Amino acid sequence: MKKSKEHYAFILPSLLTLVVIVIFPTIFLWYVSFTNYDLTMGWSKRSLVGVSNFAYLAWEDKDFWHSLRISLLFMVFTVVLEFVLGLAIALLFNRRIRGKRLWMSFLIIPMVITPTIISLIWKLMINTEYGVLNFILSWFLIGKINWLGFENAHWSVIMVDIWSWTPFVTLILYAGLQSLPQEPYEAAIVDGATPTQVFYYLTLPLLRPMILIAVLLRSIDSLKIFDVVYGLTQGGPGNSTELMSMHIYRLGFQHTNWIGRASANAIVLLVIITFFTTILLRIMRKSTREGF
Amino acid sequence: MSIAYSRKKKINGIILDILIALVVFACVFPFAWMVMTSIKTRVQTINPAIWIFRPTLENYRAIFQKRDLFLYIKNSLVVVVFTTVISIALGTFAAYGLARFQFSRKEDVAYWILSLRMLPPMAVVIPFFLFGRFLGLLDTHLLLILVYLSFNIPFTIWMMRGFIEDIPKELEEAAWVDGCSRYQGLRRIIFPLIAPGIAATSIFCVIQSWNEFALAFFLTSFNARTVPTTVTFFLSVLGVIWGEMASVGVIATIPVLIFALFVQKYLVRGLTFGAIKS
Repeated sequence: MKKSKEHYAFILPSLLTLVVIVIFPTIFLWYVSFTNYDLTMGWSKRSLVGVSNFAYLAWEDKDFWHSLRISLLFMVFTVVLEFVLGLAIALLFNRRIRGKRLWMSFLIIPMVITPTIISLIWKLMINTEYGVLNFILSWFLIGKINWLGFENAHWSVIMVDIWSWTPFVTLILYAGLQSLPQEPYEAAIVDGATPTQVFYYLTLPLLRPMILIAVLLRSIDSLKIFDVVYGLTQGGPGNSTELMSMHIYRLGFQHTNWIGRASANAIVLLVIITFFTTILLRIMRKSTREGF
Repeated sequence: MSIAYSRKKKINGIILDILIALVVFACVFPFAWMVMTSIKTRVQTINPAIWIFRPTLENYRAIFQKRDLFLYIKNSLVVVVFTTVISIALGTFAAYGLARFQFSRKEDVAYWILSLRMLPPMAVVIPFFLFGRFLGLLDTHLLLILVYLSFNIPFTIWMMRGFIEDIPKELEEAAWVDGCSRYQGLRRIIFPLIAPGIAATSIFCVIQSWNEFALAFFLTSFNARTVPTTVTFFLSVLGVIWGEMASVGVIATIPVLIFALFVQKYLVRGLTFGAIKS
């Protein structure tokens, strides 16, 4: 193979741009996380304070641990439910249906509507007094539910996330189902396998790479969530829905202006997400090498 | 027995059809409710029992006249168009470099680029907010265009790499034999063939940028404010103006939905950064 430098001309412009707008800012974020900077002081007044911002989060900031806990819970609940529902709906569509393309195109709606708009339209629909959801539930003699009250708010955020992202899982898994090879299925029928056996021993293993990619992409996105929470609850009532991004926002930009501490918290979030990203990319790398 | 069996199968089919109808209904209903709310009067919006009524366009008039929606649409358009064009221009070339050359640690570079797409907005926004403050760039289109490149460029590189790799190398090599340079081959052979891919990738960039909230929320206040951040108008506790909120929602959503229909074929590919080609 001849050594050529020609590819640099193609790749370098993008790489340099990314270094300037992503790598440099990220290094700067690490730096700020070790300073006592807050928005009310001049930049020159800042000083390095070692790991005390991280120590503050770990030992003094109970809300940090709360936000970490509910963010992870949020991730687990949304991802598991979106996976189960998404797979079920993909299986529903995986047969002959008249006008299938049209029906499936409706699944796109929840995914592409601006998330902040989604949060407000849901806020209207789940209003306790005049929301249409309680109105419809009253037909089934279910009493008024206070969807955004202290007890339920976290579940309501989860519900809205499930509404908007289950179709994402469905579309990926449906594409997977459609691309499965026919031969193993013919062999299984010849061998007299029951539909349940075929599903557990054939379909699920064959879908594995798609399932992993869909689940990990959803995990990463659900940890990052800010817009829907902001529109729906702004972290409240109290701090019952203060997921990690909301906590960073409150530390850095609302009331306290502690940018140093907010940066430390952003670093924590960054590290958690990097962990999941590493797994995702390893799987993508493996499955593209082996092919789907 | 066979009649009973076929009857059971028929009933099963009907149950499955009903389930599909329920899924479709669940996906469409909130959107339909938003459209309905946008053409209701203020009193009607807080009465969920009203499903049939005389529509009014009052809310739409209000958001354009009282709330400067034109300005925010213009801001969104400026930011979306520039960030998309720059991402496509830079990203397509990088994608070609990754698709057509072999060099050491190529995949490491490619996956490193993709990992940048996963960064949480809260980690990106703090440094950009501070840079914006120091340089006086807060509330400008420029800052938003730059920060949106951070997710659009990695996305474009991955999408376009797939589209370019779909085109057989031999087509290009034939052109080189005929005396084309690499750039001529790129322009005359590759570019026309990847045009649909460029269109699809652009649309994905447009949708992502148009919908983005967290970064725009921190980095703009009035002059460069984009459409998604206008929802903060409607968060005040006193008197939520649902009709106006819903009409902003309809205006913001319709173009995105139309665009999304165009790229339906590439949707799975776009959602998985080219990892799954359906």
